[in-house]
Amino acid sequence: MVTPPEASNLLEVRGLTVCYDTAMLLNNVSLSVGRGELVGLVGPNGAGKTTLLRTVAGLVRWEKQSKQGTRAGNITIAGEVRFDGERIDSLPPHVIARRGLVLCPERRRPFTELTVADNLMAGAYLQKDRRALRETLDMVHQMFPVLKQRARQISGTLSGGEQQMLAIGRALMTRPRLLCVDEPSTGLSPLVKKELFAKISEINRRGITVLLVEQDTALTLSVCARSYVLSHSRIVASGARQDLLADQTVHRSYLGLQSP
Amino acid sequence: MNPRRLYRRFASEVLVLPGRTTVLAVCLVLLILPLFHRHPYTLRVLSLTFIFAIFAASWDLLSGFVGQLSLGHAIFFGVAAYTSALLNLQAGLPPLVTIPAGALVAVLMGLVVGIPCLRLKGQYLSLATMGFPIILTGLVYLFSDLTGGELGVSGLARLGPTRLSEYYIALVLVLGLGLIMWKITDSKVGLVFHAIREDEITARASGINTPLYKLLAFCLSGFFAGISGGLYSHFMRVAGPSTLSVLTSFQPVIWTIFGGVASIYGAIAGTFVLYPLMEFLRVAPELRTLIFAALVVLVLRFMPEGLTPWFIDRVESECPRCKEHNAVTRRTCRVCGAPLGRPSAPGAGPFQPGKGGRVAG
Repeated sequence: MVTPPEASNLLEVRGLTVCYDTAMLLNNVSLSVGRGELVGLVGPNGAGKTTLLRTVAGLVRWEKQSKQGTRAGNITIAGEVRFDGERIDSLPPHVIARRGLVLCPERRRPFTELTVADNLMAGAYLQKDRRALRETLDMVHQMFPVLKQRARQISGTLSGGEQQMLAIGRALMTRPRLLCVDEPSTGLSPLVKKELFAKISEINRRGITVLLVEQDTALTLSVCARSYVLSHSRIVASGARQDLLADQTVHRSYLGLQSP
Repeated sequence: MNPRRLYRRFASEVLVLPGRTTVLAVCLVLLILPLFHRHPYTLRVLSLTFIFAIFAASWDLLSGFVGQLSLGHAIFFGVAAYTSALLNLQAGLPPLVTIPAGALVAVLMGLVVGIPCLRLKGQYLSLATMGFPIILTGLVYLFSDLTGGELGVSGLARLGPTRLSEYYIALVLVLGLGLIMWKITDSKVGLVFHAIREDEITARASGINTPLYKLLAFCLSGFFAGISGGLYSHFMRVAGPSTLSVLTSFQPVIWTIFGGVASIYGAIAGTFVLYPLMEFLRVAPELRTLIFAALVVLVLRFMPEGLTPWFIDRVESECPRCKEHNAVTRRTCRVCGAPLGRPSAPGAGPFQPGKGGRVAG
């Protein structure tokens, strides 16, 4: 029997399977993110974390359509993705973003030839109301003052940490209801990482639901009250921080943390 | 607005930057040139330069800004040239009607080219765009009763009653349409075009309907290229298969890369230098192409980003604090007052006035 989606969940993924040609990248993955939650998704390299986010954001379906007829376009997607109770798995990426599910992509991907200010304005494409735009920009500047200081700098010349702040700031400019952040800590020093994760917690405290995908398990578990562990294309464990930390098998096999 | 305030604004927007002042000076020279020199050959070459500058800028709008590298841009030029010519000859409509009509057909052609090319990228897109003018050339020969085949459609109404009037029509249009294209690229639409060129995935994940904007770019570019095609056919009084040739497709690419990509004014400047140069090299017909090609290669060897970025880099400097442009002769930023200057050599450390830093003036 199919169970109805929970009304409190903003994102609901059910039985998601993604195959690129003969390689299965996601195998019957199910997860949910409740309204106002900060949920972590951890797992080793190649587990399928980025594929999961790209599928949810509609990018995998787009890739399938744009590469139709070639071997690279031989992509199979099965399962269900619901956002705010409605199915979004057949929608194009820009429509999904317009509904409020916004992806902050892996490796930051700033528009390197544009200034910091223009990057933020490109993110604010959806905002037609000038006052709301001003408010969002003020909020982003307040959260990441460096983006205000370097407003006219070409973003390709920013440091890795600043580029990550810009990527998150640009995603915030779309006024997301669910912000999906993909591996924000890649290539950053421990101090910058810590600062960035504190900012992600702050974003969540401001009322934005966050799905945080990360390889740094310890840091992710420290900020997320609830997390999923993805390994070999499957969800192998999930639960509250203390439950995951208490499970010795999960600890040893998947989290790579020291036993408590 | 108060004239004094208007002048002050003009001075603070235009006269403070050598790049903009140069553009203003070139415009003024072109406007008053016929008062001193009215040789029909010079006016003809310059009028054609203006018409082709619109064509090059339209290529820059599509390929430079949106990154949709079109190697078949002659399709827009040619289809508008033939439409204007046929409407003029068959329906007896004046250039004032036929040229916009040709541009509208070029907009439709933008959809015809753009829709099948939406899924294509890089060299595949370029090859696909190259195919369209070749198809249309085939149709021109197939329906030679209507199109005149090899000889084209001739005997069109003139663009203006005299060479001088044609010169001013072309000049006003290149300045006006160039300004409109530049304003488009400086607007929110231009920002979206930039974003698509740099990273279409991120742009789409930010909520931008990238296929729609790519189609818009094809249509806008088609419109401006169409205007230039219509102008050309009425100026030359003929629309022939050469308007659809591979050379016609490649010329805006060469002019724009020479002048500087993704700026609009670069494409116009490139055409202003290269088209008259190619014409005046007719004094040595056997060496003309050789000298032209050698010159282009040499210039790009020393100005890899093109003529206009090289020029602006020499006459303007960027403030390290507020990133505003200043005349290279200034010692302090005109906006924030920060000291300006460049280290004398890489690794020479921070600039210290009077200790080898390169500050002119």
